Amino acid sequence: MNTRKLALLFLLGSIFVPVSQAQIKHIEMRVEGMT
Amino acid sequence: MKQHLGRQSGVQKVDVSLIDGKVDVTPKEDGQIDPAQLLKAVYDSGVTVAEMDVIARGKIVKDAAGNFALQVSPNQSFAIASNDLLKAVEPLADSPAAVTIRGELYRKRAGKKKTAASAPLKLLILDVQRKE
Repeated sequence: MNTRKLALLFLLGSIFVPVSQAQIKHIEMRVEGMT
Repeated sequence: MKQHLGRQSGVQKVDVSLIDGKVDVTPKEDGQIDPAQLLKAVYDSGVTVAEMDVIARGKIVKDAAGNFALQVSPNQSFAIASNDLLKAVEPLADSPAAVTIRGELYRKRAGKKKTAASAPLKLLILDVQRKE
């Protein structure tokens, strides 16, 4: 039973990890008037 | 301007190309960076931002009014402007699936010489790079 619970926990964890890694990866700007 | 941007929180690296007027900002690994703050920092250094694009990974959320947003962290999200590409990600709303989006956060309005963005930044999806 405990093994099943651990397996379920691992499965749920692997689903939610990508969301916790959400972030801004890159920003690019085009600017005017730069010398 | 490069030093000004480099001092902003969450900025790891700034690359400036004088030839084509391009500024690339690489956030720190945690990705905790505020594009609006960068926009202000550029204006404060006396340069006009014509356009700001962002690549961000997050999940699509829908508020009570039916508006969609890209949530990149628990306390940071960007409202998504309506276009055809939004329809492609709408089914992911409020699901745990993460998506990587390239989008336009800011574009200088025609005719305006130098104005800082006063309205909240809205993300116009240009490309949906990855659904997970």
